[in-house]
Amino acid sequence: MNLSINKNSIAVPAQLLDATLLSFIRDHLGLNGTKFGCGKGLCGACTVHIDGMAMRSCQVAVGDVIGQNITTIEGLAGTTETGALHPVQKAWIEDSVPQCGYCQPGQIMTAAALLARNANPTEDEIRDEMSSNLCRCGTYGRIQRAIARAAKEV
Amino acid sequence: MTLSSPNKTISRRNFLITTGWLAAGTTMLSSCSGLLPALPTTADPELDDSLAWIQILPDGRIRFYCPRMEMGQGAALGLTQVVAEELNVGASDIDCILPDTNELPAFKMTVGSESIANFFTPVSYGAARLRETLRAAAAKKFGISLSQVKDGNNGFILADGTPVGYGALVPADPEILLAQVSSPSSTEPPQYAHSRKGQFKAIGQAWDHPETLNIVTGQTIYSRDVKVPNMVFGQVLRAPAFGARLQHADGRMAQTVPGVIAVIIDTESGFVGLVADNPFILTAALEKIDVQWDLPSGLNQDGIDAGLDVETLRLKDGFEHTLDESGSLSGGRKSAKFTVTARYDTSFAAHAAMEPRAGVAWVQKNQVDIWCGSQAPYFVQRRIAKALGRSESEVVVHTHRVGGGFGGRLPCQASEEAALLSAAVNRPVRVQWPREAEFQNNYLQPGFSHFINAGIRADGTLSHWDHDFVSSPIITGLVPKNIAWIVDKLVADDGTARGGLSQYNVINRRTRYADIRTPVPIAAWRGLGAGPNAFAIESMTDELAHAAKVDPLEFRLKNLPPESSRLANVLRRVGKISNWGAASPDGTGRGITCAVYKGLTPVAIVADVHVDQASGDIRVTNIWCVQDCGLVVNPDQVENQVMGNIIWGCSMALKERLTINEGAVVENNFDLYEILRHNEVPKMVIELVDAPDAPPGPAGESALGPVAPAIANAVFAATGQRVRRLPIRYNNTHTGTLNQGGG
Repeated sequence: MNLSINKNSIAVPAQLLDATLLSFIRDHLGLNGTKFGCGKGLCGACTVHIDGMAMRSCQVAVGDVIGQNITTIEGLAGTTETGALHPVQKAWIEDSVPQCGYCQPGQIMTAAALLARNANPTEDEIRDEMSSNLCRCGTYGRIQRAIARAAKEV
Repeated sequence: MTLSSPNKTISRRNFLITTGWLAAGTTMLSSCSGLLPALPTTADPELDDSLAWIQILPDGRIRFYCPRMEMGQGAALGLTQVVAEELNVGASDIDCILPDTNELPAFKMTVGSESIANFFTPVSYGAARLRETLRAAAAKKFGISLSQVKDGNNGFILADGTPVGYGALVPADPEILLAQVSSPSSTEPPQYAHSRKGQFKAIGQAWDHPETLNIVTGQTIYSRDVKVPNMVFGQVLRAPAFGARLQHADGRMAQTVPGVIAVIIDTESGFVGLVADNPFILTAALEKIDVQWDLPSGLNQDGIDAGLDVETLRLKDGFEHTLDESGSLSGGRKSAKFTVTARYDTSFAAHAAMEPRAGVAWVQKNQVDIWCGSQAPYFVQRRIAKALGRSESEVVVHTHRVGGGFGGRLPCQASEEAALLSAAVNRPVRVQWPREAEFQNNYLQPGFSHFINAGIRADGTLSHWDHDFVSSPIITGLVPKNIAWIVDKLVADDGTARGGLSQYNVINRRTRYADIRTPVPIAAWRGLGAGPNAFAIESMTDELAHAAKVDPLEFRLKNLPPESSRLANVLRRVGKISNWGAASPDGTGRGITCAVYKGLTPVAIVADVHVDQASGDIRVTNIWCVQDCGLVVNPDQVENQVMGNIIWGCSMALKERLTINEGAVVENNFDLYEILRHNEVPKMVIELVDAPDAPPGPAGESALGPVAPAIANAVFAATGQRVRRLPIRYNNTHTGTLNQGGG
């Protein structure tokens, strides 16, 4: 009854098998970078990678991902060979993307999964892929610019 | 430079004794000695307030307690640059701290795009006083005159060329406090933020935001991320509808759930909550509380809208506030060649910030600690004290970065709930709101209803402007009902009326306004009345230009008063950069608008839209924006704010509408309350007017107002159909026309 989070094997207590992966990550493991936004898979703030796929952790039960590899925003840098910041994170800093910043971990996780699958996305592919990650501050334009910048580095 | 929320538990007394600091002058002592006076947090800052904000540490570093809260607007960074300018230091020499309520005397709540506009000069003054105090210390130490101590980097240069760092001038003895530092002189210090125009070192630079690294690595601590030792977990059953009253609640079944520590029910105040030793059982335990609410009958959107109907009020002549009146409307009408009469309506809306609010409270015998992010921490402090029956001085609010404010985070109700639960269980308690509570249990932006009758003479000038509108008080929206009627009688709500006066030159004019309270709670939302009021004024202006067959840009320029040269300039600039006047392809249209935010920041917008007649899809393809907010402290941060306003304005124009059904918010999550998405974002070109001689003006929400009417005017240009209600809906299933019903 283990799963891997950021390359660490984590034992899941039986009573938490029904908990959402989001609450498990935040409240059991204390990793707070993954955010609660809507609780219904509508906003993307809770996005993590499950076996490399961008998924809404508020819609996944811990019991359904036993044995799988999960990466959170805290582990994203560790997915690069050097352990340095992921190119998407670097691009976010370069383009000075965040305002309040609350949605940004989810945005970054969706963007990183996109670039892992499609190293050279078109402008429309970026817009479509990102369209289920909401940002109320209105940083969409800079996010799209940062993803295009990161694509050159991936 | 770091921007952080460091150890938040250290007491102020400890802090003073252990870290040591040097005052900017003797007045610092008096500023601090009355720590936590019950000052209203609506007062604008005084120059001397700033002496408590900026300190120098024995190692020469600058500590800046920023008297603003951060919610992504970048104000703390901008003000840090002002501190740097005065003290001749770099980004890495300053620690910018968002203060807890026991670290600074109360300062004004963070609202209204005031952080740079209203705090630029006080922050500059405080830093300049500190610099001159240090200069005096250097002169004394080396036995030379003040004029022989020249500015250096992070210190001074003596007449013989020897550099002296600030750190060498600060007493190393941590027991030496403020009183031992004398005031430098009776003369006011030069403020480089004013005198170095054109030669700034820090101001005007696109300094990187120090929090960005923490944000992109998931390390920033928002309210929802706060952990306190020994913390337990609370949740509350909140009223399911506005006006609902708790009739009955029985917590006995919930009390038997393993892990539940306490169920707290107060029928009189309508409070139903529980505390558990782990957060995983909260939802299931809450469901076991048997609760019955008396729901309001017939509290529906149609009824609310009927109370805010401008035409009904005109029949009753029910506009109690006359905002301006001059000339003769009847005389003006007689001189008109063309007259247009129309009403414009905007919808109720929600803040929909991405972080649902949360708080942690620890109510102890001698102190109450609150951890939360708020735009108004001293307001939170006051409300918590009142809720617990404690004195304000016993309550400390530990502040955090806010995950989106937009006017919606003045109170932190989650903290108040946590405080009530903590008082009952004697442990720190965390309460986190679900998304639905953000929509149902906070306050709303009211709908606005405008009527305008206006005309143009044969020479293309405005003949008259007869404008009535109605909405609900915003700034005084949270005033208790029993005194609200007095408030409403005495003053027009400045927030609701913000931007309500036409910016054009017309002698024969009257603008009246009615403040009508609604049965749902109303308070600040981004820009307050600026968005809805600009929609009405700039839509009518476009209608008039069309009636007169005059180009909308030319029409505006012709009718601006001569003193509006900055507004005329942004209009001309936006026309130039958008290539205004070029032909639009079929199915597309362009609109132009302008507004002056708070009478201080002129903004002009051009919008391009594409309307797909078959699908009914309305897409904003391009926005050009020229903003003149005076001196720009950090152009990169201001541009980000302007982009945010454009996105918000598109969202307001095309998407947002909140409705009430039997007292409940229907659109209570992002499936029904839609905001703009990535794939709907227009291309944006933003120009900030280079105006180093103008004082810094409001920047954070100035561009919002003219965005929605520019889109509406563009839809008219594309389709020939006038939009008079927001959000714009293309209803091709019924009439094939733009739906004027809005719903």
